[in-house]
Amino acid sequence: MKINFIRVSYLVAFLLIMPSCTEEKEEKKPEVEEEILDANSSLNTNFNGKVFSIPSPLQTALLIKNLKVPFNESLPNSTENVDKYTTEYEQALNLGIYGTDLGYVSLYEQNSASLKYLATVEKLTNKLGLEGAFDRDFMTRFENNATTEDSMLRIVSEAFRKADDFLKSSNRKPTSALILTGGWIESLYFACELNRTKQSDAIVERIGEQQQTLNSIIEILREFNNNGSNDELIADMEDLQFYFNDISVDYEFVEPKTDSDKKLTTLNHKISIHIDTNTLNQITLKINSIRDKITG
Amino acid sequence: MKRLILLFFLASGAFITPAVAQDCEGLVSVCEGYLNGTSAPGNFVSDGQVYTAFLDREKSEFKTTFYGGSTYRIVATAGKEDDFVIFTVRDMQGNIIFTNRDHKNSTYWDFKVNKTIPVTIETELDMDKKVTGCTVMLIGFKKF
Repeated sequence: MKINFIRVSYLVAFLLIMPSCTEEKEEKKPEVEEEILDANSSLNTNFNGKVFSIPSPLQTALLIKNLKVPFNESLPNSTENVDKYTTEYEQALNLGIYGTDLGYVSLYEQNSASLKYLATVEKLTNKLGLEGAFDRDFMTRFENNATTEDSMLRIVSEAFRKADDFLKSSNRKPTSALILTGGWIESLYFACELNRTKQSDAIVERIGEQQQTLNSIIEILREFNNNGSNDELIADMEDLQFYFNDISVDYEFVEPKTDSDKKLTTLNHKISIHIDTNTLNQITLKINSIRDKITG
Repeated sequence: MKRLILLFFLASGAFITPAVAQDCEGLVSVCEGYLNGTSAPGNFVSDGQVYTAFLDREKSEFKTTFYGGSTYRIVATAGKEDDFVIFTVRDMQGNIIFTNRDHKNSTYWDFKVNKTIPVTIETELDMDKKVTGCTVMLIGFKKF
């Protein structure tokens, strides 16, 4: 047993050292001994642990704009609040919030507001050490393309993806989780508030579609809950989940159609989401309260 | 002897994360090319995240939601110009919507989504081609 263990440790060392020595000259199928291929071995670990996905909050901002809902300048978090956020926890959550705000004001071509939100995002990213993602090149590209919806979406999303990549590869996944959470909270807040002022079936549907994402948010906050720093937020999200559990979904699978030449699959399923007015009101109240706590 | 082995693991462990992270980083730029139209037709907006897993004969799985009215692109790679990654998309009942296993492990695939759908995406290495390594996935979207 001891001999096997030593053999395994030499093999691990070999596998770890070899790629850096060869500098990825070519991809070769590595020879791996049976001990390492043992599925129960503790060596078989995921580098990133669990993988989570939160849909882009900009997609909800895009939906709102496409529905021709008028721009509401009181909706985004005031840029004057930015100096209040002093801890990494507050800065990360509010970076997510301001990121969604930046997308919202830019989609509505509010150019002077866009530049103010851009400066606010820059301020928080500097505090969080994310200058690499929101660098001078990003600022210039944004300023030059802020009036082109497609380019603006691409530039902002790319910067957030770079930040996510940087945080995940430098073992700052808790910060990445908070940015994603902040972005999601703001997009749900937008949807609820706009629906409160002018009811829209498409927005109600979008709110109802957040059930799975909320479950992922709670999971991600639990996974990266350093010293209980997320405890209060998790409790709030669980309260929100309580109301979301009242939403019912009818789903029917229909075989999708795949076009191999175009590398395209068209989904044909049927789905309907049912959410009653009381549940919607409770969700609106709760997301307002959660967002107020974060933005101060 | 046990202490020596433990020390070895602790020492090697200190180098695992940066080395693997560096390896994964190169793959992100490969995936990027398939989202921004450099390596494949179509220009998609990133969902703002990078999905990375170091796989060793295991599957990585996560849930997400595809919103109606959008076309999504999934890109996955485990090496430059490769077909090492198998990805499978399932619906909320576990039905397979798509697997690139049926399409020569295509590096990317597009999904036209008329109605919103919660999905589960599974990623694994094709064991005939690569046994262990970093896999990177990006997801992009565009309106249709």
